[in-house]
Amino acid sequence: MAKPAKKLVIVTEKILLKKIAKIIDEAGATGYTVVDTGGKGSRNVRSTGQPSVSDTQANIKFEVLTPDRDMAENIADQVAIKFFLDYAGIAYICDAEVLYGHSFCGPDGC
Amino acid sequence: MDFWSYFVMDFVKQLQSPTLAFLIGGMIIAALGSELVIPESICTIIVFMLLIKIGLTGGIAIRNSNLADMVLPMICAVVVGILVVFIARYTLAKLPKVKVVDAIATGGLFGAVSGSTMAAGLTVLEEQKIPYEAWAGALYPFMDIPALVTAIVVANIYLNKKNKKKRSAAADSIMQESFSKQPVAAGDYPSSRQEYLSEQQGPVNNRVKIWPIIEESLRGPALSAMLLGLAIGILTQPESVYKSFYDPLFRGLLSILMLVMGMEAWSRIGELRKVAQWYVVYSVVAPFIHGLIAFGLGMIAHKTVGFSMGGVVILAVIAASSSDISGPPTLRAGIPSANPSAYIGASTAVGTPIAIGLCIPFFVGLAQAISGLPNP
Repeated sequence: MAKPAKKLVIVTEKILLKKIAKIIDEAGATGYTVVDTGGKGSRNVRSTGQPSVSDTQANIKFEVLTPDRDMAENIADQVAIKFFLDYAGIAYICDAEVLYGHSFCGPDGC
Repeated sequence: MDFWSYFVMDFVKQLQSPTLAFLIGGMIIAALGSELVIPESICTIIVFMLLIKIGLTGGIAIRNSNLADMVLPMICAVVVGILVVFIARYTLAKLPKVKVVDAIATGGLFGAVSGSTMAAGLTVLEEQKIPYEAWAGALYPFMDIPALVTAIVVANIYLNKKNKKKRSAAADSIMQESFSKQPVAAGDYPSSRQEYLSEQQGPVNNRVKIWPIIEESLRGPALSAMLLGLAIGILTQPESVYKSFYDPLFRGLLSILMLVMGMEAWSRIGELRKVAQWYVVYSVVAPFIHGLIAFGLGMIAHKTVGFSMGGVVILAVIAASSSDISGPPTLRAGIPSANPSAYIGASTAVGTPIAIGLCIPFFVGLAQAISGLPNP
């Protein structure tokens, strides 16, 4: 009793938060999770607790559950076209099975 | 002879101010690899406190002053903000290994104002008992916004021109070329995805809209705090909370912020080394030149409408400063293709320490030497 889904993960710069959230909403996803994050990539080590007076160094991670691969790819493509040339970012997709979630599975449950 | 002795004495004295001591202290402990961490949320609240205090001071002062006095200094601020961007466009951008877009963004950041540098400047003036118009802090947005807007507009005009030239070449070469410029992004995409991407890249309308840039800078944390303080100061009677809370805490909080900025400056120096060395030269020289231009314009206001020497110093200091709180995100969004390591590195690692450490004492000394004010 679990509904198969795709999990799209986008790790990118914090200043893109609102813009990417808008893309996800418009693509029709029922919701998303955002966490502050940090780490090392090809550009630099970012947001590792260094003192900072502005938010330009912070990273975020979006996790979006989508019912099918098409929606996830649509979101990822739009984000990549718009931002990934100029901003740090990576997007990947995983298989997931949703166990509980009212809006995602509908009123009958998963 | 008097001029120089005043000037040198004052300069040396300024070097011992707590503001600078904390800044250098931060750089030293960061250089020694200290594990000290000041939480980011504290910095946010400190920036808020400093700017709301400056806003309140300005608001209270505006209530009791003649608005006509403010017009000329405001025009000076706007002129300096715009001029700084064009200086960068025609000096820094021409240097070898410097990308034009990066140079324009750097100019925008150096033209924009740093709230913390301005706070440090105001503190020094108070310590030296040099009188200045309390509303001088309200000049901040009049330099900040024009500089950022000009930088973003100039950069986009430049990029559009460049794109047009490219478009006359093969239609899809734009995407390919920009990909190949950034090996970071290029390797990660499989060919099918890349085809999809180039299909999507239709003719984009890149006309720059000015209002969203102004809106974004007004919404930035620094400016919104200051404007809120200004409004509260003008419209209400915040004197009680001002005297008991914001005013006494001001200097202490400033010292913490200076420590953090010193640490950040040190951590960014490495980044700056990766881009062209010319940025270092620019960020050492530019604060003085920008400050001197503003000082000159301020002197005109001093002679004509009686703008105080303290006010002239503030104008020079905000011109010398380079934005570190609200400027970088605005520029990052407005000119995405500029390399943030170049302009943020130039501003935070070199420009700000120079502005606080050398420019403030320099302009205070200059003002005192010119007006022959006695050293306290």
